[in-house]
Amino acid sequence: MRGHAHLVAGYIAGNSPFHRMALWRKAVLLLAVAVLCLASPAISVTLGVFITTAVLIAAIAAHRVAGLPWGRLWRAVRIMVVFLVLIAAYQWWQHGPATAWQVVAAIVATVLASNILTATTPVDELLDGLGAVVRPLERFGADPERFSLTVALMLRSIPFVIGAFSDVRDAARARGLERNLMARSLPVVIATVGYARATGEALAARGLGDPELPGEQ
Amino acid sequence: MNSIVLETAGVEIPPVDGTGTAKTILRPLSVTLNEQRIAVIGANGSGKSTLLRLLNGLVLPSAGTVRVNGLDTRTHGAAVRRSVGFVFTDPLSQLVMPTPLEDVELSLRRLKLSKRERRDRAESILAAYGLSHLAESSVYELSGGERQLTALAAVLAVDPSILVLDEPSTLLDLRNTKLLHERLAGLPQQVVMSTHDLDLAAACERGLVIEDARIAFDGPAAAAVDWYRESVG
Repeated sequence: MRGHAHLVAGYIAGNSPFHRMALWRKAVLLLAVAVLCLASPAISVTLGVFITTAVLIAAIAAHRVAGLPWGRLWRAVRIMVVFLVLIAAYQWWQHGPATAWQVVAAIVATVLASNILTATTPVDELLDGLGAVVRPLERFGADPERFSLTVALMLRSIPFVIGAFSDVRDAARARGLERNLMARSLPVVIATVGYARATGEALAARGLGDPELPGEQ
Repeated sequence: MNSIVLETAGVEIPPVDGTGTAKTILRPLSVTLNEQRIAVIGANGSGKSTLLRLLNGLVLPSAGTVRVNGLDTRTHGAAVRRSVGFVFTDPLSQLVMPTPLEDVELSLRRLKLSKRERRDRAESILAAYGLSHLAESSVYELSGGERQLTALAAVLAVDPSILVLDEPSTLLDLRNTKLLHERLAGLPQQVVMSTHDLDLAAACERGLVIEDARIAFDGPAAAAVDWYRESVG
């Protein structure tokens, strides 16, 4: 099932500077990318375009420094192409080409930066990091383990949903229904709900999310 | 020795709209499972999976109790799940993490080991199952048999005393089915499994045939397989 579904956010083993960098440093860099891309246009559109373009070039360069293949970079962008085109068209229509470029470049740069983080950090380390971030909120009832597991599940679900879209598209095409929106979307929803149910049951069976028992603290 | 005691009034699903009658998916049953290898066989939709899900509290009986080593699945569900490992038909729904190594590590998080210990233990578990070379592969890139073995390794990583498998070989080819047979044969755990693989079933000590949501035959596995073959005609 979903044999062609690829891991968008999977870890790629390596020894690049990003692989060796502490998770918190990578998170700060990711935050910096997002802040630069989002905040710079507030000063001026020209400055926003200049900074966002520079950040995008830096993100692409960082992708190479991290030793990630071009295919991985392209895949990260490819799944957003339709949305990017729609967003660009709307922004162009409303605010002109400079803003359209700035918004699209900001999205791509941020996605590439987050892609570098997930590709150079083992999921286990990511979970520990997320757990550490949420731990101070434990006194207010937050459960760090559950929070990090939820994020892991979200990452894990992305390739399934992409695979479901692809499978359903093929099935619709085989039946001559490639232009039928219902035939191309409803089975994806059903498959995704079924997947969520099965995953929930599997998690319960593995005791993930169960409370800790006395003696396990 | 493990002890699983079911004294239930069956399992019913209430009507979706709140009116009408409940649907019975498993009739009342009273059975004790002590043998090391128990096979549950029967047609699709007969109630096999529901029976298995009763054993670790994934499904609760409409009334009555299911006790695993003295613990009621209704009141001690978390403790029961610590001792009952469950392997599903489709391992992809069970493998939560992107790679086999990370999935086994996820199972081990409960043990509160250090990161290094967790990694070392996960690697040694995968090595024991001949999966070291796939440790950092995507679970999507594994074959059906490799996925099923990974799911088995992840479940056994926390050393449950009972292993429940729901049709573990249904999605496997002949080679991988044989590999799974070999792995299961060597396990020290009590194993309860539903299966359509009658060779696998016949090799067990005890066989339960589920038919029309009830236990239609309970006896030595070989006799259960014969009984099932005859009932199908």
